[in-house]
Amino acid sequence: MRSPTITHLTTVFQRAADEASRSLSVWLSRPTTITVKQVAALPLEQAVVMLGAGDTPLCLCAMHIRGALSGVLALAVSDASGLALADLLLGRSIGSSTEWGELERSAAAETTNIIGCAYLNAMTAEPDVAGSRVAMPSPPWFVRDFPEAVMEALLLTCEASGNAVFLTRTVFEIQHTAIQCSLIFVPQAGADAGQAAAGTAPS
Amino acid sequence: MTQSQPPAAQPDRFHGHSIAMGQIGVACNDGVLRTFLGSCVGLALHDRRRRIAGLAHIVLPESPRTGGPPGKYADTAVAELLRLLHGLVDGDALHLTAKIAGGATMFGFQSGTTIGDQNVQAVERLLAAAGVTIVGRCCGGSHGRRMSLDVASGVVTIQAVGGARDTIL
Repeated sequence: MRSPTITHLTTVFQRAADEASRSLSVWLSRPTTITVKQVAALPLEQAVVMLGAGDTPLCLCAMHIRGALSGVLALAVSDASGLALADLLLGRSIGSSTEWGELERSAAAETTNIIGCAYLNAMTAEPDVAGSRVAMPSPPWFVRDFPEAVMEALLLTCEASGNAVFLTRTVFEIQHTAIQCSLIFVPQAGADAGQAAAGTAPS
Repeated sequence: MTQSQPPAAQPDRFHGHSIAMGQIGVACNDGVLRTFLGSCVGLALHDRRRRIAGLAHIVLPESPRTGGPPGKYADTAVAELLRLLHGLVDGDALHLTAKIAGGATMFGFQSGTTIGDQNVQAVERLLAAAGVTIVGRCCGGSHGRRMSLDVASGVVTIQAVGGARDTIL
């Protein structure tokens, strides 16, 4: 994936969303669809505030990827969306979860695992990535903090100060309940996708 | 009075001035300068007698050869912050003290000397070289911080999400 464009990445991410939808449907035993609403490549300074600013916490579950397509893949949600997602995953009525306990964090981590691996499969299936080194994701890591602080830390983990960040706005619909999420892919500085991404940021 | 590199200083809902990533803000007499920090380091300089203060949101320890905004890198941010503060007093001598915060490691998959550690070390080294004493610090850990600098008193308040109480430097 040496020269990704937004159009190209949108196609890849939509394919990934389809795969993730199937995986989640099987896991939850109920109809689940994940729809990609938008894919954007943003410079660092814009990406930091893209998911919110100020005091309202942002929840983010991140996986570090080593090998092909090195970087970080993360699922970001608000408290309300994340807890609603946890309720659906845990078979509770929405509104049951009011804070992030161990069970809710585990549900978010498992969701990130399933979705992240589906996206990774779709991305590594690209002709110029397939057959190269295997992409190895770390276990998901849950963080709930100030949006700017958590995004800044995420971006610097990948030394992405000069790179663009790929951000997709997605909607989960689980049994007719819509949950707003954002999926973020930050290429590691120096990785192929990262080098290409630097030239694809919109002006 | 507050000045900063545009677009750093924007009045926010806390009636302070928000310093964005990689930016510097300076002010005199009164007001509050604020920023949010993860791995980045917030550097607050203050002269109690003159009632002037500045806040830099430093992203990386060292500037690249290709340049960039001076507030983004420790080596250029310290020099630029000192220059801006001296500009407020027409080059007169200042008696500055420093307070630093940030440099967190928020993700468990980070290892070795993280970018947060490197940022803190670089700022400490540069302040020592400039002869500015660090009188307060709140660095490291695994959580983000909101750093607020009161221009008149030099008091720095650090807040964390869900924190039981503020840390005062």
